[in-house]
Amino acid sequence: MTSLVPTLALCVPALPLAGMVLVLLSRSARQTDRLALGCAFATTAAGLALAAIALAHGGEPALRGRWYLLDGASGLLLAVISVVGLCSALMSPAFLRTSGRRLTTAARSRSLYYAALFLFWAALLAVPIAGNLAVAWVIVEATTAASALLVAFSGRRDALEAGWKYLLLTTLGLSVALLGIIILAIGQAGAGAHDLHALDWHALQAAAPGLPKAPTLLAFVLLLAGLATKIGWAPVHNWLPDAHSEAPAPISALLSAALLPTVLLIAWRVKDILQPSVGPATTRGVFIAFGLASILIAVPFLWRSLPWKRLLAYSSLEHMGIIALGIGFGTPLAIAGVVLHVVGHALAKALGFYAAMPLLRIDPKAARAAPAGVASESPSTAAAMGVSLAALSGLPPSPLFLSELLILLGGVAGGYVAAAALAALALALGFLGLLHALIEGVIGEDTRRRRRRSREERPILALTAVLSAAMLGCTAAGLLLPSSQFVQALASGAL
Amino acid sequence: MNGALVTAMLASSLAVIVVRRRTVAIAVLAAQSTALGLIALGLAGGKRTDLLVAAFLIATKALLLPALLYLLIRRTPEARPVKAAVSPAARLALAGAVSLCAVILVPPLGIGDPHTEHISVAMVLIGITIVVSRRPILFQLIGLLVAENGLSLLAVSVPGGLSYVVELGAVFDLALVVTVAAAFAQAIHDDTGTGDTEMLRGLRD
Repeated sequence: MTSLVPTLALCVPALPLAGMVLVLLSRSARQTDRLALGCAFATTAAGLALAAIALAHGGEPALRGRWYLLDGASGLLLAVISVVGLCSALMSPAFLRTSGRRLTTAARSRSLYYAALFLFWAALLAVPIAGNLAVAWVIVEATTAASALLVAFSGRRDALEAGWKYLLLTTLGLSVALLGIIILAIGQAGAGAHDLHALDWHALQAAAPGLPKAPTLLAFVLLLAGLATKIGWAPVHNWLPDAHSEAPAPISALLSAALLPTVLLIAWRVKDILQPSVGPATTRGVFIAFGLASILIAVPFLWRSLPWKRLLAYSSLEHMGIIALGIGFGTPLAIAGVVLHVVGHALAKALGFYAAMPLLRIDPKAARAAPAGVASESPSTAAAMGVSLAALSGLPPSPLFLSELLILLGGVAGGYVAAAALAALALALGFLGLLHALIEGVIGEDTRRRRRRSREERPILALTAVLSAAMLGCTAAGLLLPSSQFVQALASGAL
Repeated sequence: MNGALVTAMLASSLAVIVVRRRTVAIAVLAAQSTALGLIALGLAGGKRTDLLVAAFLIATKALLLPALLYLLIRRTPEARPVKAAVSPAARLALAGAVSLCAVILVPPLGIGDPHTEHISVAMVLIGITIVVSRRPILFQLIGLLVAENGLSLLAVSVPGGLSYVVELGAVFDLALVVTVAAAFAQAIHDDTGTGDTEMLRGLRD
């Protein structure tokens, strides 16, 4: 099977790029939808095949080629990005049918939407398998332009504001991260390694103990601070609630469930490779600080009466904080929690954003105000919202309940008792906030007159059933994770 | 020669933070990018890939992007200048302060030229300061380009050179981002009638 890796590593980002070209050449809306779905299924098949190989080798040293690196974390992210990308492609025709005003003319907007979606998806799929820090940076920067266009797709003033803020802040953040990469390149050049491969992950890991301390520490801080803006960690998260709430729902799902953890993977690898030079106390401390700051800043917003997608955006801030905390704790228990959390969050959050599509159709005011009593008007939409919110709040048997428990126990096991206790308290408050939103928004009293529900709610019901089953499967699999070789390998930090 | 050009790049960054006219800011940016290209040419030393990178830098940063920005201001006329959020003197003082921080706080990075190291980092910080302190969309975009020029200055100064794949990839990404940003600026101007980011304050919690 490993002989297929070079071919698959090429095909996985190439297939969505081919999809991008094909949708731009298509002549009718129906043809565009069909081409997009065909390419989405092919991309997902290739992505899942590569993910399966990576996960099967999760306990072994990473599979490496001249341009790619495939380890357990790559497999995890490839699986998540492939599944969420497919779901977003499947939900896009329904979104485009009802999206109303657009940034470009209606005739071109469908092709441009899919082209930007496929470009964004291709870049996302390429990041986890990029074997080089600088190449991963170039690809992440490429996601910015495509995804900013998608954020502002509606062309409304708020969407333009969100898109502009996202474009500017994340580009500036990535510039700061690039400064860190150049400083690392200077360190490598000082050791005689000049070419691009001096910035390969494994080359950096091998060289890290010999890199000069002060510049490497500066590079680490700049890289983390820069990547934090793209991950949406507090306090540099300002773009996140705006972009997630203004983007088309299928794109919000990709932003939250795929983009944020994908960039977080780069930060995780930077931590692992620079730890011998910078020191574990510093690297772990930075992650724990970002994690706690994100959770503590997100929780008060989870108590506020926010529009549905904005509530989900602040929930993303909280969950990226939880993942950062787990990586910072770094014990096998915490890393098992991180693995489960990445998958569980992706499924639950994607479902929540897809539920926004029927929600906004039956209650357009939900774009600007908190939903209320959706169950009385649309049980299918309410079911999707309820499952998503219950899972995100960490209500058992959600995989996020188990993952948060593992991360907190991992923190205690690693000696970070105060940080774990503070996080537990904040998570309990966040849980209550989301539970309140669940009761008021989904099963509470219906306070608004709405449009009649339509047959277009059937897809969300089917998706709810599939993703609920997947989440339950994740919870069951999560029980086996802490003792797995896959998690032990990830916790060791070796590539 | 290089020392004077590097200093000129810092001076042009400080000029961008105080000038009022958009055309002047674009001209200063083009001059700064030309200085960057000349430095890259000087450091290339006959190496073909480095010469290619230097030529690409000049073509993209000194010609293409300023031309795109000029086209943008032709298509987004302002009836009157956007009111400054922070006075020019305060902006200059802020830029001076962040430049001083770069000199004091940044350790030797290893290229063996502290002057270039300090000015590169200072330009990144000044670029961020321009974005934060200036309200017009075009100036925020130029702030981004000033920061990127600071990065390029450090990149071309890496002993033995940074890989051309990274340099060309970064410039390509930058061109993509600026093109999308220009489309945003046009759409925002069409919607609000101005390029003042103060008009974009609808999203608050």
